[in-house]
Amino acid sequence: MTDMKHTDMEEINIATDVLVLGGGLTGIKAASEIAGSGYKVILVEKDAELGGRKGPGTLVGLKEESKGLQDLEDKIKTDSNVEILTQASLVSAAGVTGDFTARLLKGAEVIEQNVGAIVVATEFATGALNEKYGLSLADNVLTQSRMDELLASESDKEKFANKTVAFLVSLGQEGNPLVLERGLRSVLALQEIDGCDAYIYAGDLKVASNGLERMYKESREKGAVYFKLTEKPEIVENGKTISFFDSVARRNIEISPDFIVVEEEMCANHLNEELAEILRINVGPSGFLQSDNVHFFPVRSNREGIFVAGSTREISSLPSAWTDVENIAIEVKDLLGDGKKIVAKNKAVVNEDKCVICLTCYRCCPHGAIYWGDKKAIISPVACQGCGICASECPMDAIQVGGFEDEDMTEKVKSGVVSGNGTPRLLAFCCQNSAFEAGEMADMFKMPLPEGLRMIKVPCAGKIDLDYILNAFVAGADGILVMACHPGNCKSENGNTFAQWRVNDAYRMMEEVGLEKDRLCFVGTASNMGSGFSSIVVDMEKRINELGLSPLK
Amino acid sequence: MSTKNKKVMVVGGGIAGLTAAWELSRFNIDVELIEKTPFLGGYAIQYCCKATDECRQCGACTVEAMLKNVVNEPKIKVHLATDVEKINNSGRFSVDLKKSSYQPVSATEGVIRGYSKNNSPLHVIVDKEKCEENPDAVPEGAVELDTMGFSGKLDVDAVILASGFQPFDAEQKGTYGYKKFPNVVTGMDLERIIRENATVVRPSDGKAAQKIAFIQCVGSRDENLGNLWCSQVCCPYALRMAETIKHKNADAEISIFYMDIQNVGKNYAEFYEKCKTDFRFVRNIPVDVFPMENDSLSMRYMNEEDGLCINEEFDLLVLSVGIMPGPDNNDLSGIFDVGLNEDGFFAGIDKLNSTSTLKGGIFLAGTVAGPKDIAASMAHAGQAASEVIKHLGVS
Ligand SMILES: Cc1cc2nc3c(=O)[nH]c(=O)nc-3n(C[C@H](O)[C@H](O)[C@H](O)COP(=O)(O)OP(=O)(O)OC[C@H]3O[C@@H](n4cnc5c(N)ncnc54)[C@H](O)[C@@H]3O)c2cc1C
Ligand code: SF4
Ligand code: SF4
Ligand code: SF4
Ligand code: SF4
Repeated sequence: MTDMKHTDMEEINIATDVLVLGGGLTGIKAASEIAGSGYKVILVEKDAELGGRKGPGTLVGLKEESKGLQDLEDKIKTDSNVEILTQASLVSAAGVTGDFTARLLKGAEVIEQNVGAIVVATEFATGALNEKYGLSLADNVLTQSRMDELLASESDKEKFANKTVAFLVSLGQEGNPLVLERGLRSVLALQEIDGCDAYIYAGDLKVASNGLERMYKESREKGAVYFKLTEKPEIVENGKTISFFDSVARRNIEISPDFIVVEEEMCANHLNEELAEILRINVGPSGFLQSDNVHFFPVRSNREGIFVAGSTREISSLPSAWTDVENIAIEVKDLLGDGKKIVAKNKAVVNEDKCVICLTCYRCCPHGAIYWGDKKAIISPVACQGCGICASECPMDAIQVGGFEDEDMTEKVKSGVVSGNGTPRLLAFCCQNSAFEAGEMADMFKMPLPEGLRMIKVPCAGKIDLDYILNAFVAGADGILVMACHPGNCKSENGNTFAQWRVNDAYRMMEEVGLEKDRLCFVGTASNMGSGFSSIVVDMEKRINELGLSPLK
Repeated sequence: MSTKNKKVMVVGGGIAGLTAAWELSRFNIDVELIEKTPFLGGYAIQYCCKATDECRQCGACTVEAMLKNVVNEPKIKVHLATDVEKINNSGRFSVDLKKSSYQPVSATEGVIRGYSKNNSPLHVIVDKEKCEENPDAVPEGAVELDTMGFSGKLDVDAVILASGFQPFDAEQKGTYGYKKFPNVVTGMDLERIIRENATVVRPSDGKAAQKIAFIQCVGSRDENLGNLWCSQVCCPYALRMAETIKHKNADAEISIFYMDIQNVGKNYAEFYEKCKTDFRFVRNIPVDVFPMENDSLSMRYMNEEDGLCINEEFDLLVLSVGIMPGPDNNDLSGIFDVGLNEDGFFAGIDKLNSTSTLKGGIFLAGTVAGPKDIAASMAHAGQAASEVIKHLGVS
């Protein structure tokens, strides 16, 4: 954090208990690791028992490890640092990072807990996809889960002796390595049974996980037949026959299997949406609780102190959920420490005299860092990321961001408008996470840059006030660039969207005073785009040269 | 327990090593980061941004951010151009380091340049004679490779191996004509081409490429080579770069030759659908490439619809090379006494914990333990750091 000028520091106390939501294997592991680092953990599970779904679907390929998993579960029950609440659920979570007040409902009882951090560990849900293939579940039409169950029992297994089994994979959905692994393991298990033949009808084989290509090869060597298709085969009479046209062999290939195993989809837990609302965290693609933003990898949410593990954030195998948990363990340790935290006093501060409690900042803060005091909004120095979105949105100009105070910024805008020997005066407002880095790279790598270009660093494009843009034009800028992160890459989720809106406002005002629209440009940039930065600003200079210098100067 | 004097050596300064080092430094642990080349960042620091009108989540920019964290962190001591020579384990590990034998493949004008503004030094002189001939071409602040590197001893409490991977050497598949025909490039080359030029140009004439083919699984999933793994990253990078090219040049005609397309990003189904409307997918891996007069390439492959072989001409051919075990894995396995798996990557203790090894105090992070993308390498490094912290009893 070398960029910030936070000279004024203070020590504050934060709560060090941790709430873990979800008592499946991932939640248990999280509780165990966090308790292991000396924090008290409240582990909340909605069902009567811990352990969650431990079906063969969750533990694919983890036979050897499953003993250890049982030990872990037994251990957690006797861990004095872990309080287990079963048949309980979260109803509200007020406050901010380091000081959340969670209200939990267990039966009719409401339990209040003050916690410093929250870990969400919900499991994925599965769904049968037989309808996608026009099949009804029957004695001969099995879901993958049913197949897993049958294969787990020595007596049921015998059912498949001298039978033909067809698998349908990645044709009813896009699929993923976990779905494929379940199928492959069944195929390999069937090949141990006398006279059992396996046929696999597959779209894209999702082999992008350790060991799957090898399993695929092994099953082929043992006689499994794979038909790689781009669309579903024709299935008649609920699976009596399956056929497709083989374009290479130029003939129809038909088989009559005794059993059909249909893939299952794995999707987000239905509890996620409600949890997201209570916790004020963003929902990502397909209902998983992490937006698709690389800055949150692996386990962060948009709120500091709320972490997402395993299948809460994407479809996860148990090994990757374990990786998540270890990452959460160190995040929690780093955040909570010994309960005393040194924080910058001036990260973002509300001026009590100016605040009229309009709620604007509370609503727009992407990190949920604002709460309410007696007479004003209060910004948590632990939760705040210093993006400055609130400062630019506050109608009363009541918020100042450390290192980027209004006065300084006004001065920087004025002095940033310089003439490069008659070349256009260009001002680029650059997000410090992306465009500013790219600009420095272009400079260091001696890529072409206009002589009259100056960069003004902002903590996030969301800090760029409409005033900055207008003042720059008044100061005589011939062209202005607002350079944000690409949509979907903003560390503060939507700082770039705020910047885009303000640029649109500026366009309207420019039109009123007759200033050409081309003098202002909004563009997405990434930190590694040195050459991209160079070509964007050189293009801008070209355009301004065509327009001529600013009529306002 | 106190964190005083706890020191960890991280071998390899790619994204995994950088992440591990930085995570450890957050807990007041001293880190000695050993990198054999003159630059930090590994392969991933060389990649381009693959955004179209939105971020495509390739993760390349997070490597820049992590590199910046590391170079600004005083608890991390970086040793560039340095190799591990041997290690003794008697309670703590005692390590002998030596100047690395690193030699760059090519260096125009005797100087090589780093990839990021956070690489320091940014310019390294690898051929003094060449530089003396043309001193004006030597950038200010350039450092001689000969003067870099650290020879000496270190005592550390734990080791994280993060020496990474190597991209498949496409010359091994001779019929594609890599290095023979200028417009046959690898995915790695394409990453660099886009990063350097902000657009795709043909190496032969610097002109925009119009008709482009990607061949997937080059070196991976290949029984003849005995490479029985999916590299996991080449479908994502190929499709993302193809989308970037298409975004800049809507007329570009792009074909993807593939066996199976792996998921790209969290929104994979939607992304794949978009790709299917933007590109032509051909489920066949071509074998032979022939040069044409205009430096274009003719490729022979089997048409899916009728099973007949056809020849087609392309401006640019991209070989989607995969992730192979690192070139030093055998040596490092010997030095650290940690075993490799059947594919030649380092082996973790079990499936749930692939960062700890059978050797107490030695941990793995990133692609050294098998194919991973940037995000997974970072997560793996975080896991390794967590295991190290537990091992050292740091709180
Ligand atoms: C063509 C291509 C494109 C890709 N594109 C993407 C992408 O867009 N997005 C994505 O997420 N992933 C991508 N990947 C994957 C990505 O490259 C890896 O996930 C990532 O680089 C792994 O980082 P690492 O630190 O494990 O290894 P490396 O990047 O290999 O870093 C290892 C470091 O260790 C050093 N080292 C090696 N041996 C020694 C030694 N003996 N002593 C000291 N130091 C040593 C090396 O010099 C290097 O700096 C791509 C891969 C390829 C092949
Ligand atoms: S936006 Fe400004 S005025 Fe409104 S509540 Fe926040 S600080 Fe107060
Ligand atoms: S600066 Fe950003 S993170 Fe901090 S309170 Fe304002 S909007 Fe929230
Ligand atoms: S496409 Fe890649 S490099 Fe570009 S902004 Fe997104 S994650 Fe960063
Ligand atoms: S990711 Fe795609 S191209 Fe790479 S090995 Fe796997 S299937 Fe082949």
